[in-house]
Amino acid sequence: MGSIVSLVRVRSSEVDIKDSICKAINLVDFKTHSQVRLAVIKPNLCYYWDADTGYTTDPRIVAGIIDWVRETYGANVDIKVVESDATAMQTKLAFLMLGYERLAKEKNVELFNLSNDTAVSKKIYVNGHEIKFKVPQLLLEADLFINAPKLKIMRDTRITCAMKNVFGCISYPRKNIYHPILKEAIVGINKVLHPHLNVVDGIVALGRFPIKLGLIMAGVDPFSIDWVASKIMGYNPSKVEFLRIAMKEKLGSIEGMDICGQNLEEFRKVFPKEGIIPTKYLWAIQLGLLKMYFKLVKDIMPPALQE
Amino acid sequence: MLLKKINVGIIGLGHMGHLHMMNCLHINDVEVVAASDKSKRALKKAGSLGVKNLYVNYQDLLDKKSKDLDAVIISLPNFLHFDSIQLSLEKGLDVFVEKPMATNIDESQKILNLVEKSGRKLMIGHCMRFVDAVEKMKNVVDEGRIGSLEIITIESIQNGPLSHGLIPKPVPEWWLNPKKSGGGALIDIGYHMIDLFRFFAGDSKVLFSCLDYKYNLPVEDGATLILNSYDSSIRGIINVGWFEKMIFPKFNFRLIIHGNADFMSTDQLIPKNIYLHAMNEGAKNFLRRITGRKIHPLSYTYYYEPYYKEMMAFSTCITKDLDPIISAADGLKVMEIINEAYNFFNDKFTGDLE
Repeated sequence: MGSIVSLVRVRSSEVDIKDSICKAINLVDFKTHSQVRLAVIKPNLCYYWDADTGYTTDPRIVAGIIDWVRETYGANVDIKVVESDATAMQTKLAFLMLGYERLAKEKNVELFNLSNDTAVSKKIYVNGHEIKFKVPQLLLEADLFINAPKLKIMRDTRITCAMKNVFGCISYPRKNIYHPILKEAIVGINKVLHPHLNVVDGIVALGRFPIKLGLIMAGVDPFSIDWVASKIMGYNPSKVEFLRIAMKEKLGSIEGMDICGQNLEEFRKVFPKEGIIPTKYLWAIQLGLLKMYFKLVKDIMPPALQE
Repeated sequence: MLLKKINVGIIGLGHMGHLHMMNCLHINDVEVVAASDKSKRALKKAGSLGVKNLYVNYQDLLDKKSKDLDAVIISLPNFLHFDSIQLSLEKGLDVFVEKPMATNIDESQKILNLVEKSGRKLMIGHCMRFVDAVEKMKNVVDEGRIGSLEIITIESIQNGPLSHGLIPKPVPEWWLNPKKSGGGALIDIGYHMIDLFRFFAGDSKVLFSCLDYKYNLPVEDGATLILNSYDSSIRGIINVGWFEKMIFPKFNFRLIIHGNADFMSTDQLIPKNIYLHAMNEGAKNFLRRITGRKIHPLSYTYYYEPYYKEMMAFSTCITKDLDPIISAADGLKVMEIINEAYNFFNDKFTGDLE
């Protein structure tokens, strides 16, 4: 089950990004499909903060992937760049604000909101939980589904990379309904949707703060990508809960996993790892102290904290 | 002499309206009698805090409850400010309205006329004047400690309507519709910064303005203005933007005043560590509470305390029958500068930027 994950150093020029993407893909065990009519690329556009903040996928990465698809499968491939609405993010606005509308014009590709697609209902069991998803039909029909996540840490799941970006494909906008069982839901959706290829944007990655990491990762298996990403971000992957559940559910395995290209240590040592107390607990401590304060003093809680 | 409590109605219970309601509930002279909002959840919350008369729309609140009210606090989307102010004044109520007073200069002028005609008070939420550091710097200037004021630099870069608390919320559609919002970063954050410039330099005019559309939105996401006081003695530069990721308690605001004897910056006065400040102020409030003294609401947050202070100022101007500290005329002056800035940019730059 384990597979090859490639690490390639990239500078920030557009040409270099494209060359690095090609190099990263060539290094992994990606079996070229014989014919591709429809290719779908899913970046991570979780909010309106652009790629330099470390939150969203750099449109130049998607541009590089588009060029690679056309060079590999011909100029006539129908390419769609997709995202789905989230609790607080409207895809239409994110495409506009983050430079994807410009990209679509330049590269002559279609931008597509997965929340507007025909949804296929799926029911999955993970870790004793029955989880229902509405999955966009487009992703089930695509000849080539390329996952283009961002490399970053996240309060609830520690890391967010390939598997969490697949979670972002769920049609239903209010994805926060899954948050009580987020780790299981991430594993569940990855049992339903299987990207053929993953190209990770680590040009600017997000740790405690954004950092120009200059990394492009590629691999065919989202689990393996996330396993390696966890190491780069300073976590022991076997302690990342959703990866542990994925292994238990036989969605991924470290057997036969191989890292090629650049040395992982080069990236790991500069990545701004989380402090000794994870952000999640820091917030919890602060909110706990505030709640105690309000109870004792009966002061006003600003709306930003009430939310 | 014991003053009568003033009865207020809260119109709009969004982020700001809710905060104003909470502040009113902590002011001894104020009784929150009614509230209105389209959100049932917001009304339920107001009800749980003891507000008895709840309405889904503000017209009902004004029609049914205005006889029991002295004032209303309006925190509606910008495009509803004019109608709600007009109706409130017609009902004989004093009004506090969130900035901007309206979406454009014509509406602002009409509001000023309505206020003068009605004889009621209208105060606008120019809360930045109440920031502790700003108040201190104004005193320093007024006392002549930096000599004659020559140059002012003001900047505030935030995430505008794209900002959120711990949990992200969708951006309401009206924010990005210039007809409904009146504009983008300039009328949102720039409004406060222009008011601060006026606060220190007096009435002013635009020498230069440049708007930014980095996010390709229908409204500007950044603005740079150079202002000059009417007597040309004080110049200043204002920089505002919506482009910075911002989650409370982070707050990117800076005011620097340069005189011919000295200079001063808010960076010297704003707490370097907001967490230590919160602990310090929280401990003081705890002591005040257990010794039976009045607490200083929101002082622990630093940046939210000005909202409490401005609400205090509003209630005081009603109970003591004083002119509001920030009047409709002040609001109109800020809107005039904003209008000048938009016109300057449209005349000089539109077309060239392509």
